[in-house]
Amino acid sequence: MTFTGLIGWICMFPLRAIIRTCVRLQIHPNVLTFVGVLINFAAATALALGRFVTAGVIMVIANIFDFIDGKVAVELGAVSKFGGFWDSVIDRFSDIALFIGLIYLYSELRRTDYVMVASLAMMFAIMTSYTRARAESLIRKCKVGFMERPERIVLFMIGAFTNRMAAVLWVILVLSVFTVADRIILTYRELRTAGREAVA
Amino acid sequence: MKRAATVPGRVLWHAFFWTYERASWQYDVMVIAILAFVWLVPPGWLGDPVAHGSGPIGWLIALLRR
Repeated sequence: MTFTGLIGWICMFPLRAIIRTCVRLQIHPNVLTFVGVLINFAAATALALGRFVTAGVIMVIANIFDFIDGKVAVELGAVSKFGGFWDSVIDRFSDIALFIGLIYLYSELRRTDYVMVASLAMMFAIMTSYTRARAESLIRKCKVGFMERPERIVLFMIGAFTNRMAAVLWVILVLSVFTVADRIILTYRELRTAGREAVA
Repeated sequence: MKRAATVPGRVLWHAFFWTYERASWQYDVMVIAILAFVWLVPPGWLGDPVAHGSGPIGWLIALLRR
């Protein structure tokens, strides 16, 4: 088992208990998704106030909701196309809220450079999901690139708990640029191949 | 005619054009590299507006300068 696989396996123990509780209480997965975004707004507020450890704790709670909604939907037999759509839309609000929290903080500190870093990171984080969604309307699958939402969220938590948010923002920015580029390259290649096959 | 890529070239290309699954050994290497960057680089080098302390590398440099 790999290092990250082991961490995931350990984290699944408490999460399974939470999923079982939600299933027993028959909580609708769409409600869990919505509660998750509300808690993420609280995390964004804590980031904006520069209270990083508080923000980290709130992010952990918010992302438990974020993680379990899909699993609860499967367990309850409540999987729906709207649920998937709702989850994706709400996830974007959560993502953007955290970045806005940091942008507010850096603008309060008169740090235009980091306002720009956080804004660009936000732009490429949004484009990461947009390129995949748009690509998958044209090609079968577009799951390339390292910096997806789970990686971003874990990095945010690491940055918050260890007060290394600037380094985290640089990592998110650079790897999100690569991820968007990967998705454009893959889509171009797949469409070119499909075009050649159609001609032949 | 296509030229065969060198090993460092291939490693760089695969790091850029990322197709590996989570929990693979390549993913572990990337995670370790990211954590090393986040935790070891002194916040001052990045002009971090809120971080305190100089981090392990800064501490090591200060120790060597003594």
